[in-house]
Amino acid sequence: MIPRFVLALVLAIVMLIGGTSTFIYLTSKQTKVAAAPQKPTASTPRAQALVLPGTLYLTQSGAIYSLSAGRFHQLTPEVGYTQPSLYPDGSNLLVVRKFPSYSDVFIMTRFGRIVRELTDNAAPPRNLDMGYNYWSFYPRLSPDGQTLWMTYDGLKCHPECFDVSLAVWSMPFGGSIRQARAWTDGGYYTGGDVQPIPVSGGVIYTKYDYASKYDANEEGKLVGMLWFTNRAGSHGRELTTPGEDCRSPSLSPRGDQVAMICTYKKQISYLTIASWNGSTLGPRKTLISNQLVAQPTWAPDGSGIAYYAPANGAFQLWWLPRAAYEPPPPSPLPSPTPGGPHNGPLPTPTPPPPAPPVRPIQVTTNDGFDATSPMAWLG
Amino acid sequence: MAGGLAYFIPAAKAAIDATGAPVVHVSPSPTMLFSPTPSSSPTAAPVAGAFTVLLLGSDDDSKFGPDHVLTQSMILVRIVPSTKEVTMLSIPRDLYVHLSTGGYAKIDGAYSYGGAGAAIATVEQDFGVHIDDYIWIGLLGLVKLIDAIGGIDVVTSNPVMDDYYPADILSNWPYDYQRVAVLAGPQHLDGLHAMQYVRSRHGDLQSDLGRSVRQQQVLIAIRQKAKQTSPEDLPAMSAAIGGELKTSIGLSKVAQLLPLAASFDNPDNIRQITLANPYTHGGAPGGSLYPDWGRILPLVHQYFP
Repeated sequence: MIPRFVLALVLAIVMLIGGTSTFIYLTSKQTKVAAAPQKPTASTPRAQALVLPGTLYLTQSGAIYSLSAGRFHQLTPEVGYTQPSLYPDGSNLLVVRKFPSYSDVFIMTRFGRIVRELTDNAAPPRNLDMGYNYWSFYPRLSPDGQTLWMTYDGLKCHPECFDVSLAVWSMPFGGSIRQARAWTDGGYYTGGDVQPIPVSGGVIYTKYDYASKYDANEEGKLVGMLWFTNRAGSHGRELTTPGEDCRSPSLSPRGDQVAMICTYKKQISYLTIASWNGSTLGPRKTLISNQLVAQPTWAPDGSGIAYYAPANGAFQLWWLPRAAYEPPPPSPLPSPTPGGPHNGPLPTPTPPPPAPPVRPIQVTTNDGFDATSPMAWLG
Repeated sequence: MAGGLAYFIPAAKAAIDATGAPVVHVSPSPTMLFSPTPSSSPTAAPVAGAFTVLLLGSDDDSKFGPDHVLTQSMILVRIVPSTKEVTMLSIPRDLYVHLSTGGYAKIDGAYSYGGAGAAIATVEQDFGVHIDDYIWIGLLGLVKLIDAIGGIDVVTSNPVMDDYYPADILSNWPYDYQRVAVLAGPQHLDGLHAMQYVRSRHGDLQSDLGRSVRQQQVLIAIRQKAKQTSPEDLPAMSAAIGGELKTSIGLSKVAQLLPLAASFDNPDNIRQITLANPYTHGGAPGGSLYPDWGRILPLVHQYFP
């Protein structure tokens, strides 16, 4: 006969262990949706499954990282740095540093040292009016390295109105922000002209505006359109339609194709490419339609396109090899030789089986890249 | 059993507190002098299983007394489980309507005069719809909810730039303001930045109507992200948004709806409606909008039979 107090003690212990185990088990069953992303360097020196060519510059949590030979390196502290772009000769980078009320463009070496501030967008000291601050985003240098292009809200009508118009501006590289001039008007209020890509003879950019202004059959929804203009103050022209709702242009290394994302006015984002002849875009080719693609960027050696898309609750780096959109030419079929040793009817050559479709490759797994920041890629 | 209880009891308590809230219908004031706003009865046959929820989003900062807040956002959502269709209709907060509590005013005041009951009654009488349930969420609740599900992935349709965005959540001064810049395109937003995206209106030509569109985008993103959660996440989520969410939907119905949410996958089956011009036009008292009921009611009855 087991004494009662022993039985009670055993039961209490079983309950304690069982209860604790159940609690711990349920805690472990929580999904990781709210888990914070890891720093890209957390995976280093783990060998990456895929080594991309050259050096990629990416942004996460206000810091710039480089990815080279399969390893990430943190180049800046997490203090608001974003939107890196390379000098034409690849010697340095331009980066944006975003502060709570304004942002400025800086020159940064490829190893993360800030060399110089190129804009001066903070309100004058002791001026407490927020409206005297300015934003600069998406800096780019012209192919000759003489002109700095950016998105800038210098056209706003403060303090008379609430208008904050993002427009495409240019200024002499190394000059003063006072020398900057607007190439586009940026529209009024909502939207604006952003992400300029200087090309031969002008600049490609994304215009955000109401679709109905450009197509009477469209609703009054806000859409993105790729535009091109070749002279400051000119009206420019549409490269994509309002219905396509495209944005984030990226020029191929040879300058003959543009990668972009098109959302068709929905909460979707298709990776699309089109040929570019210097003035118009050719037929669109959708490469990816089942991911929320952001910031497509061509590899400098033309071997594929990198982009961001969500996985594990945050935006990861993905890679689409060129074979996905430029299949290699089929190998020639062996031609039968008439009059050979076989004297009967010639056998019908059977074509090789079609190559399996090339799928995108997920490069990172637990990071959380800033999908509003274009990547820079040094070959 | 004990471990399970310890794990789920806080969530259950929060759920019981937040769900199944009774709808108190406020009687019109005896001093009501205005004639009722035109409304008509539904014309289309109701679909079995379909239901309509009124989503209410409020400023719950210190500018207002408790339970007397305005509803910055009012969205009618109709869900048809059989066809997996969702229709969202944003009601402009500045719409000049006849309130169920009496008199004419902006529709965002209905909640402040009589709580959810008055807001529901006002929408039902003016729009001629039947509302099955409501969900109210405060500003901070939305921020916490989005953070609790790990943020959302949204395609922001345009850059949202605002030099006078209210900085009332994290500031001691409820009339403080700040600059915000939410860039365009696909991106991951945490609660605070998602709030900036849906709340900003100074930099929007369409003002409140423009942000209605953005609010619908964020709703779709929340639903998308919520599909990745599991019942084991409920304690953490309920702890995060405790007190910032109220709903008339009972716990049993919540349990029925959760699996349903995962099945609404086709973006073509999500219809988004805003009442821009010609459905509404300016010129009403206090900067509010006049409704064109002759256009609004047929539209509403088409999608909310």
